[in-house]
Amino acid sequence: MPDTQWPQFIVFDQPKEGKPPFYAGAVHAPDPEMALLNARDVFARRDSHVYLWVVRESHIFAKTAEELLQGFSISSEETSENPETYYVFQKTAHKGTLVQVGEVEAANPESAMAAALASYSNPKAIVWWVFPAWAVHQTHPTENKSLFGPADDKPYRHSSFYPTVTLMREINLAKEKLNWEDE
Amino acid sequence: MSLDLQPLLACKLLTLADDELILGHRQSEWCGHAPILEEDIAFANLALDELGHAILWYQLHARLVGENPDTYPDQLVYFREPFEFRCAQIVALPNGDWAFSILRQYLFDVLENVLLAHYVQSAYRPLADIAAKIRPEEIYHLRHTSAWVKRLGLGTEESNRRMQNALDDLWPYTGQLFHPNPGEAGLVEAGWVADPHTLYTAWQAQVIPFLEEANLTLPTAKMRTLNRELPSQHLVGILSELQQVARLDPQAQW
Repeated sequence: MPDTQWPQFIVFDQPKEGKPPFYAGAVHAPDPEMALLNARDVFARRDSHVYLWVVRESHIFAKTAEELLQGFSISSEETSENPETYYVFQKTAHKGTLVQVGEVEAANPESAMAAALASYSNPKAIVWWVFPAWAVHQTHPTENKSLFGPADDKPYRHSSFYPTVTLMREINLAKEKLNWEDE
Repeated sequence: MSLDLQPLLACKLLTLADDELILGHRQSEWCGHAPILEEDIAFANLALDELGHAILWYQLHARLVGENPDTYPDQLVYFREPFEFRCAQIVALPNGDWAFSILRQYLFDVLENVLLAHYVQSAYRPLADIAAKIRPEEIYHLRHTSAWVKRLGLGTEESNRRMQNALDDLWPYTGQLFHPNPGEAGLVEAGWVADPHTLYTAWQAQVIPFLEEANLTLPTAKMRTLNRELPSQHLVGILSELQQVARLDPQAQW
């Protein structure tokens, strides 16, 4: 079914100082400011956060490892444009999420992807995303106290308060021991 | 602590707590019905925050009247009669459409921001501490609701019309929020709470230009009742629902 709501913004989250941002999920919003507010309410109500980013989904150039095998073309005209910074994200495990591995300078998304593949080569990478730095809308550090501070004092913020989580973990552990596959 | 101020502050805290409780309860009715899923989560968060703030004020009230702060808030919420509540009428009004609810929340958020900015400097330390704890959350609330008010006010012909209707309906109720409690002047003099008149002026200075920038026209209608001691019919309705389960079995452990 087509998405008939507001545009989608992808949400990235830096959980701790010194850790790279990771892909947290997506929100619908009419504009970047509302996207940041929605991201805060949907993804940052409990854990600790240094900042959130939102990026219009349409600004993200994404390729899976399978798609990369088919190759993609880079227009030679476009490569002559002024280069700009692109952020590079990788996913290396099916259970994992996309995490930033670095950045490249490139003139368009395709050449950014080519540069990312060259600079951050990783045989385990199964998904690659690149997007220009200008597409990022970010929470400002001065707002952190009002955006993320209140979560620190909330009761029930940790998953250990919810027995369902530990229960599922035990079930999954037992499944692993039994070599039991869902698929 | 000055003993004659204690009951006055207890009474003032009850108005603060009751406003937060009833507004939080009203807003929670949007859960599952907000315009989009993301806002549904955000608005439910906001409602929960208000309930959390209510508990903090009720607990301080309990300490001042010599009751157990862990158990007394439940007594106050579930077993008081409507005429014993001190909330303003605006918080009990039915939700109406989204414009009405978001504008009411905005008007209240500005009040809270103005009030807390003063209360963090209260000479009565426990009050200042709670204000400092609540304030960051209220700064976020205001950012959220003012973003909505601006977009709906400046949005389409329909969104502007609905916002204007909401403002026309809500405005006459706003004066009551700043009406001083009996004896509040004593608290103001002692530096425990800010002068409600000062708060009202600061609130107007923030709200009026913002609404005008959002292409909304300030109503000229007179303020309605200022006294908080008369429960509204809407409050009676909320309480009958809110208190129903607890009153089925007052001794139940839960």
